[in-house]
Amino acid sequence: MGILEKAAAKAKEAELYEEYREGITVSFKGGELEKVKSEAVLGRALRVIVDGKLGFASTAGEEEDPLVEAAVASARHGDPAPFSFPELKGKGEVKVLDPEVQELSPDDLLAWGEEAAKAITEEFPGIIVDVFLSRGESCVRVANTTGGVREERRSYFGMYVEAQHVKEGDIWLLWVGKTVRRREDLSPEMLVSQVIRYLRWGERVVPSPAGRPPVLFTPRGAVVLYLPLLVGFSGLSVYMGTSPLKGRLGEEAFDRRLTIVDDGTLPFGPRSGSFDDEGVPTGRLPLVEGGVIQHFYYDLRSAALAGAEPTGNGMKGGFFGGGFRTPPSPGPRNILVSPGEGTLEELIAEMKEGIIVEGVLGLGQGNIQSGAFSNNVGTGFVVKGGKVIGRLKNTMIAGNAYEVLKDHLVAIGAKAEWCHGIYRSPALLVEGVSVVSR
Amino acid sequence: MRAFLKGVLKRAAGEYAEVRWEEVTRSRVVFQRDQLMALESSREAGGIVRVLADGAWGIAVFTDPEEIPKRLEEAASLARAAAGHVRNRIRLAPVEPVEDSVTVSVEEDFREVPLEEKRKLAQRYNELILGYSKEIVSSSVRYTDSMRRVVLANTEGTYIEQEIPDVTLHLAAVARRNGDIQQAFESLGEAAGYEFVKDREEEALAAAKRAVELLSAKPVKGGRYTVVLDQELAGVFIHEAFGHICEADFLLRNEPMRKLMQLGKRFGVEALNVVEDGYIPGRRGNTPYDDEGVRRRKIYLIRGGILTGLMHSRATAAATGMEPTGNARAVSWEHEPIVRMRNTYIEPGEATFEELLKGIDHGIYAKGAFGGQTEFEQFTFSAAYAYEIVGGEIGGMLRDVVLTGNVFETLRNIELLGKDFELKGGAGGCGKDGQSPLPVTFGAPHVRIRDVIVGGK
Repeated sequence: MGILEKAAAKAKEAELYEEYREGITVSFKGGELEKVKSEAVLGRALRVIVDGKLGFASTAGEEEDPLVEAAVASARHGDPAPFSFPELKGKGEVKVLDPEVQELSPDDLLAWGEEAAKAITEEFPGIIVDVFLSRGESCVRVANTTGGVREERRSYFGMYVEAQHVKEGDIWLLWVGKTVRRREDLSPEMLVSQVIRYLRWGERVVPSPAGRPPVLFTPRGAVVLYLPLLVGFSGLSVYMGTSPLKGRLGEEAFDRRLTIVDDGTLPFGPRSGSFDDEGVPTGRLPLVEGGVIQHFYYDLRSAALAGAEPTGNGMKGGFFGGGFRTPPSPGPRNILVSPGEGTLEELIAEMKEGIIVEGVLGLGQGNIQSGAFSNNVGTGFVVKGGKVIGRLKNTMIAGNAYEVLKDHLVAIGAKAEWCHGIYRSPALLVEGVSVVSR
Repeated sequence: MRAFLKGVLKRAAGEYAEVRWEEVTRSRVVFQRDQLMALESSREAGGIVRVLADGAWGIAVFTDPEEIPKRLEEAASLARAAAGHVRNRIRLAPVEPVEDSVTVSVEEDFREVPLEEKRKLAQRYNELILGYSKEIVSSSVRYTDSMRRVVLANTEGTYIEQEIPDVTLHLAAVARRNGDIQQAFESLGEAAGYEFVKDREEEALAAAKRAVELLSAKPVKGGRYTVVLDQELAGVFIHEAFGHICEADFLLRNEPMRKLMQLGKRFGVEALNVVEDGYIPGRRGNTPYDDEGVRRRKIYLIRGGILTGLMHSRATAAATGMEPTGNARAVSWEHEPIVRMRNTYIEPGEATFEELLKGIDHGIYAKGAFGGQTEFEQFTFSAAYAYEIVGGEIGGMLRDVVLTGNVFETLRNIELLGKDFELKGGAGGCGKDGQSPLPVTFGAPHVRIRDVIVGGK
């Protein structure tokens, strides 16, 4: 008898989540190989509804009976389940598995890592280079007592390059990285050339303009503005009253040029899947269209509480994933920000004088629910006369993401890029950000 | 397990091999406003093997204990594949093999406490927060406990069994007035029993009260200030801004950084002493033996303002001719040990709180920490709340206080150390190289620092 059958014998409803992850990681430090690691991890989570009350338990590597007992014991002291487990329908129609990724050998990863370090140190001999590469596959299976099962194999392939410029009184850490599902979506050479471009821009440290100069957030830097939104558009934050977007569906809360879609069906999107971690089919959900708030995203619980439909956003671990150990909560799939016009060079020319923000320290610290941000710029550049003249140091930016994206958006760039494994955005040129420097 | 592991390791390839197998009992109760978001008491187990072959590491993680022999072979073949790419062969500093069993006795073992009781406790704190004021719109109360039973065996004959307890309580309140949302929290964690989280009503109410007060607090004006940090924030500062760059794995293949971190170099005022300690009764960072089987040591990172020590694993110690310090820690069986902090603190000085404030015309008294991050010399951390200092006196409440700077300059700019030392283990933990949250504690007295940059509008 399987776990689900054992659970069904004790509970009116039950749901079993299983995740088997198999993969390889290689790490280089200081341009030299540090370790090669393989993983084969089976994690499980069981939810049950007993006498109308919800119970949860999770395990790795344990026997099956204790998992069932733990979930049932949890339900005994649990609260009424606001939802039922849904009928699991559909087939794996979203493309998330690339056999080419699985064929990548440790030697392939080792060669890319070595080449990356070599290419960077050839032009910049003093730079310390760390590289991490990983590839693998996770097989996710959701089954519940409606009789349905959803199962899907999803590949992943990631590379992260960190370049460290270390001089007394001037240390600078620059990194770029990408996680994709398809081999062809990640070009190690492209990541390396991005690092080299930034290193060239940053050879010289120059004073940063202060006050409220225009700020160009590169696609990766724009996370400063998106992070509060990821929290604000969560159906749970809205229901809890902690989202400033509560009660504002249909309102023009953002600049009219701004359109943001959460799309779980995008072929090979880094967070795409045919179903979410509760087995609900994913979809394409407009969050903001032409500046107007369209939808919030929901898992089963928040949808039931808010009287909304689940949107296929039940993610174990919420925003950044937490594996099998955490119960599902609403999290974004792939956040897609519609591009506008203008290459990065054109935006830089347009801003004339200002700063470029590529990476910050202290992301997510502070009052992100309110939209407030206040960050040390880790990687940023100074623009003068429409050209990058050097790198900035000891500079903080502060502002409010909701205010900036409503009233201070100057331009949206043409080229959208995948960042942080969660969104695809173009560069954003904005005003209304306070810049403090020394 | 003992005979099995010893037998398996006898057949292991390479210069060195180790197996770590962990069995974890853990519970978790999470309330968010009126919702019980998690209620769980579960068990899990998993393991990791490391093989050093031809001077390179191969590592394998697994959940099926029957796979241990197979995973040792796999790790050895990964190590050999890696060896061709290694210029400087990895060596391990010698340590005496240890056979030991470390059990803990806590006052009230949380494994014996029914889940129902844990739920009731969390619920009571949650209700206190929600009932504090009409302006409290949401709350988050999180209780966690875990007992890790860790077995470590290696080819040198070490066999250690350790029990590692951890219990945390996070009490957070969210207040809202018109469009403005503010949050405040109290965060507690110890290597203790259930007794540690009982009778925390005061902390729950303190979080609620502060969230409401923050609604009326003035946003800080950005600029440079003389800042007095409370014990918690000064502790976060020393951990984040300084501790991480004293982790030798980070220095090993980074020659310019190693030059900056030369032992014997002056880093701060004469009165500054910074300690890294593997054991202080009851503390979350406690690591009697690290995850390489090295027995704990107490080390001074800074003594009399001078850099006197770094944190080491066996590999970093061998590469630099130092001794291992017992700082090789893994957050769980899914990860290999890397150099981490344990209990890190600034020793107290002699100033009273009044003396710290004296002579500050316009400064900031920053308290508590939302979090912190560093990139080498650059650090940034957010105070949970703060007050103005005007004419040497504490003034009105401030919010959105984010401090930033260069750690070397900031250490030199420490002016005074208080005598009111406190050690703190929050409910969170430390993150590094994807391993998070690792239980640590940090501590300090009140610390006064000049010329700190504060971000703000």
